[in-house]
Amino acid sequence: MGSLSLDSVRKSFADTVALDGVTLDIAEGEFFTLVGPSGCGKTTTLRTIAGLESPTSGTVRFDGENVAGVPTEDRDVGIVFQNYALFPHMTVSENVAYGLNFADPPNGESVEERVADLLDLVDLSGMGEREPEQLSGGQQQRVALARALAPAPEILLLDEPMSALDARLRETLRRQIKRIQQELDVTTVYVTHDQEEALAISDRLAVMNDGCVEQVGTPRAVYQEPATEFVAAFVGENNLFRGEAVGTSDDGTTTVSVEDTEFRVADGDLATGALTFCVRPEQLSVGATENQFQVEVDTVEFLGETTRYYAEWGDRTVVFRTPEPEDRDVLTLGFDPSDARVL
Amino acid sequence: MRPRRVVERVGAPLLAVVTLGLLGLMFFYPVWLVLIESVRIDGRYALTAFSDVLTDEFYFGVLAQALSDPTVLVRSFPNYRLGLFGFTAYQAALSTIAAVALGLPGAYVLARFEFPGRRTIRSLTALPFVMPTILVAIGFVATFGKNGVLNVALRGVGLPTLELRGTLLIIVLAHAFYDAPLIARITAAAWEGVDSEMTETARSLGASPFRAVRDVVIPQLLPAILTGAVLTFIFSFMSFAIVLALGGLSKATVEVWVYHKITQLDYETASTLAVLEMVFSLALTYAYLRYEARQRAASTARPAERIPLVGSATKRRLFAWGYAVVALVVFVGPIASLVLASVTGSEGFTLRNYRFLVERQASAYSFQVKPLTAITNSLLFGLGTLVVAVPMGIFLAIVSTREFRGRKLIDTLTMAPFAVSGVVVGLGLLRGFVFGTEAFGYRFTIVGPIAIVAAHAVGAYPFVTRTVAPALSGIDDSLVESARSLGASRARVMLDVELPLVVPAILAGMAFVFAISIGEFDSTVILATGDSSYTMPVAIERFIGRRLGPATAMGVVLLVVTGLSFTVIDRLGEGGFGG
Repeated sequence: MGSLSLDSVRKSFADTVALDGVTLDIAEGEFFTLVGPSGCGKTTTLRTIAGLESPTSGTVRFDGENVAGVPTEDRDVGIVFQNYALFPHMTVSENVAYGLNFADPPNGESVEERVADLLDLVDLSGMGEREPEQLSGGQQQRVALARALAPAPEILLLDEPMSALDARLRETLRRQIKRIQQELDVTTVYVTHDQEEALAISDRLAVMNDGCVEQVGTPRAVYQEPATEFVAAFVGENNLFRGEAVGTSDDGTTTVSVEDTEFRVADGDLATGALTFCVRPEQLSVGATENQFQVEVDTVEFLGETTRYYAEWGDRTVVFRTPEPEDRDVLTLGFDPSDARVL
Repeated sequence: MRPRRVVERVGAPLLAVVTLGLLGLMFFYPVWLVLIESVRIDGRYALTAFSDVLTDEFYFGVLAQALSDPTVLVRSFPNYRLGLFGFTAYQAALSTIAAVALGLPGAYVLARFEFPGRRTIRSLTALPFVMPTILVAIGFVATFGKNGVLNVALRGVGLPTLELRGTLLIIVLAHAFYDAPLIARITAAAWEGVDSEMTETARSLGASPFRAVRDVVIPQLLPAILTGAVLTFIFSFMSFAIVLALGGLSKATVEVWVYHKITQLDYETASTLAVLEMVFSLALTYAYLRYEARQRAASTARPAERIPLVGSATKRRLFAWGYAVVALVVFVGPIASLVLASVTGSEGFTLRNYRFLVERQASAYSFQVKPLTAITNSLLFGLGTLVVAVPMGIFLAIVSTREFRGRKLIDTLTMAPFAVSGVVVGLGLLRGFVFGTEAFGYRFTIVGPIAIVAAHAVGAYPFVTRTVAPALSGIDDSLVESARSLGASRARVMLDVELPLVVPAILAGMAFVFAISIGEFDSTVILATGDSSYTMPVAIERFIGRRLGPATAMGVVLLVVTGLSFTVIDRLGEGGFGG
């Protein structure tokens, strides 16, 4: 119970294609994130799962069963929106209890017990009689979460639930959502435009762009092995090098020529012709002995743990990080061939 | 399917059928009857009634003559005979000019000056939306009539008195009184929407203050002014109570003449004239709506800093103060005169007029107007109208905020009563239901009071729709979607979430309905057969000629009720006033 799949889902509005063949398989109990820039189709995907939009073509299945034509109220989903969407004319308790008008509380609990349990779960015990407008943004969002969970939905849908909150609060709430999700083991689909958040919270994530899914995988896999240029650039910081594969060596590395500089990359033995590879900022280092190139420092940002540099290499910008600050303007950078990822 | 669901699924369509059925019975069928009556002559269908009217000089003046002899247009230039329709358009045009002339300076003062009470005055500019026309008429009689405040003052200083009743001037003035606040309101809103950075840019480019206003501000106000002017023209063209009470038959407009023909039992001519007028007013309204739809734009402008009204005597301030004096005389004058006249008699201060309202019935003969009956009738009809119009209006508001094929058609059909005069609806209801109609082999008749409530409901429900619909569409979609994801059906979401959130708008709509019912004159005067169904406005009109005192006292009662309703609308309503 609680698995979910989308098969070639297309959704077009009057003059735009919002989803261009989205296929996803989400396992029961999984925390799955849809991440991408605004307009990429992640919210439309979520709304299609919820039944708030119907796909132009393709199928959505809950536990293998096609849910086409099943209205939202019969889908057994819980939704939390960015703006909380609490009913302003009901108290906190009445909000949480609302879904229990249409479904009995699980485990033979009474409505009162269920509401108290959920307020407890989101650390809002004793706030039941408050009006929504008396609560802070973070508290309102927790009420919205409790309300969505009260009828024990099969699937929890979270649409950018934290983007209206400030940074520190987001991190606290993020941990709380993750804890609750694990405790209840409810299948969760989370939409965010914040790739850092997506990496931090998900079991798996799908990176979306322009109505398509670019890559699906665990946070570690997506970060370390981006499948496309878009993913490489969108998830975390990255340096992209576009060049020409000019030969292979006995040690299995490929030589790539980028603007008259030759680099050796470990991951490209099959590549010929045009080739793009990327190197993460933390993998470029001043002391490296291979793949050296000279850059001129432009901007320095002190981040606490590390220092970030934006530097010029020819007419392109390279970003890199070092644990120790550098005070020279011109630096020689290099990277290990195995740290380059060919796209 | 759960049984509860079945009720919900059947409930909404049932409500739709009832609403549309009522609308058909109370509005479309009566209007249809008027149409039929105008083309059926001696049991056959013909357009002779129209050709008779169109070629009759009495109705179309020089245009009627020109149909047979075009040279008359040259020969009699420029002394054209206007005819009934020509005069109606002529007085509407004059009224529009007067209302614009009186309203524009008001817009300037409201938009550009700061003074205590500005907000209150600003909300009061919406008062004409609910102010009964008969109240304007009685206010003007109390001010400019034979024994009005003006003549009392003139006599007091030994000057000859003026009789303005029955003149074109007083009709035009009354229309201006009624519509200038509307023009001021719409234009002031547009003025406040002009970003001060635009004029500042113009100034920085070298334009003088005057040039900056002329080149930057005025062009942005023109659409608003035009909107107000067209509305004023439509209202003045269809004006009935004001013209009837202040002009009489000698200054009759089409609407008054239709009524006159009805009282003469000449329903055929009345219908023909009503249809011609309806064609004209529908065309104007359609043009207006087309125009209005094109120029809606939300503005996030930073309006220019307001000028304090109190301060050293600049030209602008003198102008504003001068206008304030004019406004005091024109707008406050009639209301103050009404109140004053109601508490004065030959012996000075008196409550005699109010006592008369209560005592009259004891000695009243059957053909005389019983004031207390009129008051209770007005209240009862008001309540009846609430019962019918509020659910209808709410339901149509819900319909109009949904997306579906054919919504535009429903919108248009349900807003049609805005463009059809009360006299026409009254005539149709009178011919259709009060006189009886046959269907399925039975003869249906309804009594006057029910027909009156129906006519009031037709005039009032669009205000509920116009007040509730914006509130409904202002509700965040995610509230509805949250409720649905929690298991609530669409109908259930409406009951649990949407309707509770628009309660203030519904209350404002109810105040509108009550105010409109209580002030309605046009159809009531036609349907109120016999004094048992007279309402306050009808009683006032009957009293005006003979008993100014009681008429003003009843006017004050009407004013109080209207004022209370207006306060409710002003506090709780958001949309509806358009400005």
